[in-house]
Amino acid sequence: MWTKAQSELLNVILDHLIPPRADGSAPGAGALGVAEFLPTATPFAEDPVGTVTAVLDHVSKTAPDFLSQSAAAQVAVLKATEAAVPAPFACLVRLTYMGYYSRPDTRPYVGVGAHPIHPEGYPVPSESAESLAELTAPVRRRGQIYRNA
Amino acid sequence: MKNEPVDVLIIGAGASGAAIAWSLLETRMRILCLEQGGHLQDKDFPSRRDDYELSRYSYFSVDPNVRGAKEDYPINNSDSCIAPVNWNGVGGSTMNFLGHWPRMKPSDFRAKTLDGVAEDWPIDYATLEPFYEANDRNTGVSGLGGNPAYPDYTPDLPPIPIGTLGQTLAKGFNEKGWHWWPSDVSILSQDHDGRQKCVNAGTCDLGCAAGAKGGTNFTYWPILENAGVELRTHARVAEILVDSDTGFATGVLYFDKDGQLHEQRAEMVVVACNGIGTPRLLLNSKSKAFPDGLANRSGLVGKNLMFHPLTGVAGVFDKPMRGHEGPMACSILSQEFYESDPARGFVRGYGLHSGRSTTPMTFALGGYGIDNPIPWGQEHRRIMDDVYPYLAGLTVVTEDLPEEVNCVTLDPDLKDSDGIPAPKITYRLGENTKKMLKHGEEKAKEVLLAAGAKEVLTKGDDTVWWRAGWHQMGTCRMGHDPETSVVNAWGRSHDVKNLFIVDGSIFVTSAAVNPTSTIQALALYIGDSIKNNFETLFD
Ligand SMILES: Cc1cc2nc3c(=O)[nH]c(=O)nc-3n(C[C@H](O)[C@H](O)[C@H](O)COP(=O)(O)OP(=O)(O)OC[C@H]3O[C@@H](n4cnc5c(N)ncnc54)[C@H](O)[C@@H]3O)c2cc1C
Ligand code: SF4
Repeated sequence: MWTKAQSELLNVILDHLIPPRADGSAPGAGALGVAEFLPTATPFAEDPVGTVTAVLDHVSKTAPDFLSQSAAAQVAVLKATEAAVPAPFACLVRLTYMGYYSRPDTRPYVGVGAHPIHPEGYPVPSESAESLAELTAPVRRRGQIYRNA
Repeated sequence: MKNEPVDVLIIGAGASGAAIAWSLLETRMRILCLEQGGHLQDKDFPSRRDDYELSRYSYFSVDPNVRGAKEDYPINNSDSCIAPVNWNGVGGSTMNFLGHWPRMKPSDFRAKTLDGVAEDWPIDYATLEPFYEANDRNTGVSGLGGNPAYPDYTPDLPPIPIGTLGQTLAKGFNEKGWHWWPSDVSILSQDHDGRQKCVNAGTCDLGCAAGAKGGTNFTYWPILENAGVELRTHARVAEILVDSDTGFATGVLYFDKDGQLHEQRAEMVVVACNGIGTPRLLLNSKSKAFPDGLANRSGLVGKNLMFHPLTGVAGVFDKPMRGHEGPMACSILSQEFYESDPARGFVRGYGLHSGRSTTPMTFALGGYGIDNPIPWGQEHRRIMDDVYPYLAGLTVVTEDLPEEVNCVTLDPDLKDSDGIPAPKITYRLGENTKKMLKHGEEKAKEVLLAAGAKEVLTKGDDTVWWRAGWHQMGTCRMGHDPETSVVNAWGRSHDVKNLFIVDGSIFVTSAAVNPTSTIQALALYIGDSIKNNFETLFD
């Protein structure tokens, strides 16, 4: 889908949008392969390829040496791009989040199960009747709080 | 094409259509329900997919404008600060609803008498109480009896777990000395009536593949279809027909799946299309006798649209709140600020609902009902790692007062896939609501801090949640006076004596609670009134 040059640039940009954890325990969006998700995102954006290309073109035009820049300089270029082409940039951000978090392997990074949510769900213990009675005791003690009508 | 006539024709197979069909079963009348959508098959529940969250932004969005399915009707929401959301198919919006099940309170039926605003309902809490009970039995309700915010009643099933998040917030409310209670929910905490209990999957808006949620696709419809009620799906009603001599409704015109137009005749027509679909259908049913829309001599069809405008406040705690585990909207509910108190500077009140935190993608994209993604870059990583897992939130759910400027009309250009004019919403927040939202935000912050939050996050602007028009009420209100209401005290049109309306459009006021238990109790009450008035039903 993407040319080699586009892929290289896109992966670096994606790793800025969702960066890896400093200790390497969670990958950035580029390393995770979100670039492959983007062309498939037609249910969520009118023209994902065109939109992403607009961002890539803007970066290439305004910062031809982007790939050799320092991380801080790259972030500055991306901020300028966001200001210059806000709609395509916002769309790229949105689709990047979708591509990243729709992958089951990313959910456990933030404490959420990788599995499809049904049929397994999550085991959540019920509070005992005694503990609920204790928690609600102050509320009961106040008595009726609704108006008779 | 003409079909064999029926006794009762119900339009809409959602919460209210199913409930009234059940009530009328015992009459042995021939009942037909026309529903514009279809049945959702078990394999099609998105929560069975690895990438389940994506469906929220496409074919399983709560917003019909995003879904854009053939059975959906588009809604022009460009003149509104809240986007109406729904589901169009068997179960109606109980397919993707969240199962929060509070009742209205006695004072909710007396806003005019008690607080000098809006109108009183023509019925009261005591009248509806037996129908709340019957509907709860049919639906399967979990909760804790003895809530001091209500006249005494006890749900059949014990409460669902309130979880770490609910326990933490409850301690905050106790610290403040404020009311809270485990939420009543139409979600099964135990296996019940051949249905499976909730597995705490947390994605109730994606349809509940477990069948634990009280959607009428799981509760009423299997019983109704077994009992011989005919449910004709992919049948979209374009117009209700009236006899210009008698003034009675004679039936409807509807489009089938292939776009073919049918006429269906009936002795009695019951409209159950939700607070926007119903006025849309009536306004589309113009005739010589009703040039401004059917049953609209009062001019009030489509007027007084009410939502429950809401905003959210979240606290960041120092241990994971596990907010994604457990039914999405329901853990605990505070009604400390529900009843009017003149000292607060506004009338009526609001509830503080504990929202569980949502799944990662939805959170990153701005949260449920919001389209405002969190920042990208290192700040993104920090928020997802250090904030998201530690969040517990409260939503401020306000009572909306009826105002005629807030309304449903027909859009001159927009049409559904059958070419039927689509609704346009004109809606803005009232001054009273704005004051309530501000007050609620402050009180929610106080509770979160009392519960131990180390930081409190607010939306940071005056807007309310965007895709939060899930409760649609007031657009065909009930009342004794034909000049100031559309239907009478038991849902019968003042103008067309064999036409009934049973959905939330007949609400006189919105109260500050989720409406579906009341909508269904009302539908059962209307069914009962029909049975009790059989001899003189159309007089
Ligand atoms: C995301 C979400 C969350 C919600 N959460 C809660 C909650 O926690 N608690 C609560 O109490 N409520 C909740 N609600 C609201 C609840 O779903 C509604 O109050 C309830 O379903 C309304 O019942 P109804 O019968 O009026 O309409 P619906 O249940 O929406 O049914 C109307 C039916 O009519 C059909 N229809 C409309 N027009 C036509 C036509 N012209 N021809 C044929 N068929 C037609 C529609 O397709 C639909 O199936 C939620 C709603 C949503 C969308
Ligand atoms: S959390 Fe419970 S009610 Fe909600 S979808 Fe999952 S099983 Fe159904």
